Amino acid sequence: MNTRSTHTATAELTLNRHCPLVTCGQKVERGERIATASDPGMGDIHAPFPGSVEHVDPYRIRIAREGGETVDPAILDGLGGQDLLARLRELGADLPARGQVDILILNGVDEEPGLLSRRTLLAEKLETLRTGASALVRGYKPAEVTLAVPGGVKESLPDIAVKVVSDQYPQGLDPLVAKAVTGQEAPDNTLVVGLETVFHAGMVMETGLPVMETMVTVDNSARLISLGSPVGEILTSDGLTIHDGDRIVLGGVLRGTAAASPGQGVDRATTAVSLIRNPTPVAMDAACVGCGECVRRCPARLDPAMITSYAEFGQYEKAEAEAVDVCFECGLCGFFCIARRPMLQYIRLAKHELAKAKAQSGEETQP
Amino acid sequence: MKPLNPFALTVSVPPHRHCGTTVRDRMLTILVAMLPAAVMASMTFGMPAIRVMALSMATAVLAEMACDYFMDRETDVNDFHAFTVGLSFAFLLPASAPWWLVAFGSAASIVLGKMAFGPLGGSPFCAPLVGWAICRISWPSFMDIDASMLGMDLTYPLAQLKNFGLDAVQITDSRQLFLGKQLGGLGAVQIAGVLLGGMLLVLRKHVSSIIPVGVIGGVALTAFLFNWIDPSMYASPAFHLLTGSTLFGAFFLATDGPSSPNRQIPMLLFGLLVGALIVIIRIYGVYPDGVPFAILLANLFTPALERIRPKPFGRR
Repeated sequence: MNTRSTHTATAELTLNRHCPLVTCGQKVERGERIATASDPGMGDIHAPFPGSVEHVDPYRIRIAREGGETVDPAILDGLGGQDLLARLRELGADLPARGQVDILILNGVDEEPGLLSRRTLLAEKLETLRTGASALVRGYKPAEVTLAVPGGVKESLPDIAVKVVSDQYPQGLDPLVAKAVTGQEAPDNTLVVGLETVFHAGMVMETGLPVMETMVTVDNSARLISLGSPVGEILTSDGLTIHDGDRIVLGGVLRGTAAASPGQGVDRATTAVSLIRNPTPVAMDAACVGCGECVRRCPARLDPAMITSYAEFGQYEKAEAEAVDVCFECGLCGFFCIARRPMLQYIRLAKHELAKAKAQSGEETQP
Repeated sequence: MKPLNPFALTVSVPPHRHCGTTVRDRMLTILVAMLPAAVMASMTFGMPAIRVMALSMATAVLAEMACDYFMDRETDVNDFHAFTVGLSFAFLLPASAPWWLVAFGSAASIVLGKMAFGPLGGSPFCAPLVGWAICRISWPSFMDIDASMLGMDLTYPLAQLKNFGLDAVQITDSRQLFLGKQLGGLGAVQIAGVLLGGMLLVLRKHVSSIIPVGVIGGVALTAFLFNWIDPSMYASPAFHLLTGSTLFGAFFLATDGPSSPNRQIPMLLFGLLVGALIVIIRIYGVYPDGVPFAILLANLFTPALERIRPKPFGRR
């Protein structure tokens, strides 16, 4: 539903491979679980305030605020290992599912220029981060833990080594941070967790309540915002007017997701909410002009020009031969494409089609 | 009456911003970069040079529009690429070139050098050189700069070097060469203007500096080797750099995107190859100015050079 006005009294929770547990009209308490994750590395979703369910579809749950109670805090004492991680996921922390983790890296570098959420977490929520980090250490049982921070950050966590990483884009992205810390590209048994997830785990450990707010950059500062808050509401209360054709971006401009409507809610992965007005479209249906800008700028040393041209004509196995799976989607190829090709869209299309083909052939060969 | 109030957010995959440079911007910058040399050419050769440049650009644009019409596709002439092809082709011609030669060569550049391979980006050759090569082989006497420009006071140093040896070269003052007081391709020999335009392209980052550096390095290195073996027979590196279309080729022709490699090391090798071939063709070949053929030959090596590539991130 696309309307300019949004109600503060409503929360919209975006489902991303989650199964809704509630039905329309159902009353929910604050912190009640309303959807479970079907992806093993994702957390469940909870109501950010007491109210009644207004709308449920496979992509979103909308809740209208009403008076009500808060759920009882969960007891997490004495848990460790996979049990603790599973419990944290049930309470809404997006902790990746991994078997053995030798090196755990907490990524405190804001991924894109203009994002401030991780920096603000380090400056203001150090105590919660400490709790979260120790919970992650108890859960994953890594041999080494490192906190990656941009230059100029003085904060640190107890018993955790600090590594200063360049915050020049794209150096703050997880694969490049892992390389900066371990000195190896795509090292084995290494897990990079974003600082916001550490913070979510820390909040759960401190309160026993599910994750209900996250640190979001709005304009030039970051603040805690309740999950499910409509993005349009956040921007208009900041004094911005949303016009027809604008885009609201959840996350950074190079990697973020465009909101489908101003009513879409902030989710746990949202590090920023911003309004972008583009006089001209960023991408057009154009052929590659062979200038080579993307090839020279790709941090994964791929040939985006060839990959996207293969994807354009459905030759996905050739895109696979060009190592499309290595791409970590920094968005630089599309940013610099002088033909304004939708580079990342083609790359994601190729990845999606390859994954689909793999899943289908796997089903056939399995007895 | 209640006004209709359309409201929809734009939704797309990231990135949500663009660096702002488009194909059109790039082509316009290339045209602006060619302007100094074009002005110098008009000052040196007068109206005939303006005639050749204008005719060549007009033919290129019309040829592209005609191709688009017959290929039943929407025309892209508003990206100005046809203008750059037409002007580059004109820059390689003598100012005396007859109208039919200009028109045929320019049209051939577009039809065979670009449109035969689809829209911009498919061509394995630098487009203007395709037209130049066809004309040079089909009508050698009209393309022969020395013979067709007898009316000028200026001399063609490269032909003198080729035909009569190093001692016969009349212009020995580098400053004269630099200021374009020599015969050759009408725009390509305006060394000062070409250099100015080339610097603009590199500084505005429309062209990577690797290929020009490679070409200039390759010419200087190869010419130095020959000059070192026998200074009385082989011209100095400075002579090779400041005559003919060496610098024009280095900055404007060899850097053509689709026909040159995309990665740093292949680009450098490509440049060095062009540079070495220029001097070798000038010394051993039958053509006084080796630049167009050197670049066309190096274009053939592009797919091979492209095979030099690093491993993707994290692959062992």
